[in-house]
Amino acid sequence: MAKKTYKGRPVLPGELTGKALVSREPFNTTVSYIDNLFGGVTDKAPCTDSDNNELYGTDLSGMILCTPQTIGSTMGGIALIGVAELGVGPKAMLFSAHIDSLSAAGLVIEDVWNEKRIITIDQLGDEFMKSVNTGDPIAIHEDGTVEVG
Amino acid sequence: MDRRQFVKLIPAGALASGSLLALNANAQDGKVQDKATGTSGGDQGKVTGPSASVKPGDYKEYMKNIHNPPGSDPFGLDEQGKGIKGFRAVGTGSNVKDRPDADKPVKMKLTREEQDILDGKQGPELAKVMKTVVEHGQLFGATELVELGGAPHSAMFSAPDYMDSCLTIFERCADAGLKAYAPYTINPRPWDLYNEEISSKEATMALDGYKLQNRLDKLHMRLGSRNRKAWSCTSYLPEVGNHPPLGTNVAWAESSAVNYGNSVLGIRSNRNAVAMELMCALIGKAPKFGLLTDEGRKAKWLIELRTKGEPNWGVVGAAIGFKVVEDVPYIVGADKYMGGKVSPESIVKLKMMGSATASSGAVGLYHVEGVTPEAAKQGRDLLAEGYQTYVIDDAELARVRGGYKNLWDDKNGKPTRVHIGCPHATFEEIRQWGVRITKALKEAKQEKVAIPVNIGCSRFVEEHFLDEYPILYRDMKRAGVTFTNICILCFSGLAGFGKLERPVTNSSKARVYTNARLYDDGPLTQIIVTGEVPS
Repeated sequence: MAKKTYKGRPVLPGELTGKALVSREPFNTTVSYIDNLFGGVTDKAPCTDSDNNELYGTDLSGMILCTPQTIGSTMGGIALIGVAELGVGPKAMLFSAHIDSLSAAGLVIEDVWNEKRIITIDQLGDEFMKSVNTGDPIAIHEDGTVEVG
Repeated sequence: MDRRQFVKLIPAGALASGSLLALNANAQDGKVQDKATGTSGGDQGKVTGPSASVKPGDYKEYMKNIHNPPGSDPFGLDEQGKGIKGFRAVGTGSNVKDRPDADKPVKMKLTREEQDILDGKQGPELAKVMKTVVEHGQLFGATELVELGGAPHSAMFSAPDYMDSCLTIFERCADAGLKAYAPYTINPRPWDLYNEEISSKEATMALDGYKLQNRLDKLHMRLGSRNRKAWSCTSYLPEVGNHPPLGTNVAWAESSAVNYGNSVLGIRSNRNAVAMELMCALIGKAPKFGLLTDEGRKAKWLIELRTKGEPNWGVVGAAIGFKVVEDVPYIVGADKYMGGKVSPESIVKLKMMGSATASSGAVGLYHVEGVTPEAAKQGRDLLAEGYQTYVIDDAELARVRGGYKNLWDDKNGKPTRVHIGCPHATFEEIRQWGVRITKALKEAKQEKVAIPVNIGCSRFVEEHFLDEYPILYRDMKRAGVTFTNICILCFSGLAGFGKLERPVTNSSKARVYTNARLYDDGPLTQIIVTGEVPS
């Protein structure tokens, strides 16, 4: 596939390569990690959002999430801290829209306090969301550039 | 999770002397002349109710029992649990997506003292607190920090297992001697083992669900919280006392408190994520963006209320929340029902409407023409350029209400519990319900409410009510009404409870978060007396 490049805002910059995990619907953080947050599961992160047709049942451990935005509970930020501390949190979060304040709080706190960076880029644009597919090779760069393919 | 037997305690014994039927007539009007202390009376017996089982880690059961809300505040899902199409709230209570330079990095200008703190001159923990607050604010365009006044309000109020790492972070702050800039209030606790009508098995269920609760309680005390009587989602009420003066900057969490504070008190707070509000409290500052700015407080929606009579304010709020999501609405046509001012009577309506805008949407601030302080002063100058208009008439409210589904497992079952006080009830609200309930029981020649009636409120408000209306308070208690300072949502949201209970409520917010069905005050009073859903 032809390589495409998108430029976003580096919220928590870093360099990373891996494969995309795509949720075209906004990713509901709390609902997706119910087994980790409330079910006692600590060795993997099965997506528990049964309405997320793309990710339901998929192990979210170490994912590079590509989604328009996260939604949901005001606990969403703390949820990200919780799964990161279990070792099953995302490696990177790539948003096509503006990051929401709840995720931003959790990601910044995890970065500052636990020194575990979940690389985060936002405002990558609708075109990014339209073209990226689960399994696509992803290369993230410090300046917020994301290469797909 | 083991199969649980749901045991309700309901009053069953004969009343001692001074029964409801022998009430002082004045008490029926809610104005008690005799303020003598009421005496307790009545035996209690146990009645076994329905039961249910939930398997460990069974998220489907869990989700079924916490009842996916349709709004944006809790989960951003519709009533079928599907993601809301096009939902893009950024969660600040003020829409930042339209900020023209949102893609450009922002560097906050710090004072010398702030920079020193960031550089670690007051210790590594405070430096991390400052770094967290600054970095978060810069993401939303803040170029400076503002001093916070009044007192903080925290929504970090329940502690399941996953809170462990978050508690550890704040325990590091407490170990370093950090405290909030002022003694603060907190949302209500998720259980009430003293007053709530629950069995020992249910109490065990609550203790299992919130295993780290005592650790959280202790943490808050170390960080400078007020005592547990001040744990209430309506901490802004005069009895509780966290009501900073107009224009004060704060960094609160709890959607309904932020919504009320911004709108009715005229203070300035963004909708903060749980944990971020405590970070701001420890530093005594917050990033200036969104609802902390004049521009962010402008209304992008004009809401024209055109109902023929007084509407259900919770449904009005839900309609607004669904429509504007997180933008600021300016509401006209409501002032005539509110006496044209903020008063004990109107704050009941404002609280019900506002909390619904914040639970069916993510509204952090609304203006009511001729009532709320900024609207009273600035009028329609508060409307932003290019604002949109939304008309709410009886047909629109019927349409919104028609979308409310019956989420009871047994859809035709009888109600099992009445929830009043979400958000926590005000003094006037309790008085009104006391009059309604005791009057209706008297007319029905009945001593007891038919099903448990829980009134959630701060202990300070309950004590105020007891002081002013001791006979009415006594008669409510004798009739079986329970006063509790629990969070009704946490109580009903516990895994398993949704399957056990068929609650009814007057709260549009409680309807969103739980399986409770919403009723107007008249039908709800009928349910309290008969235990039956009105035909």
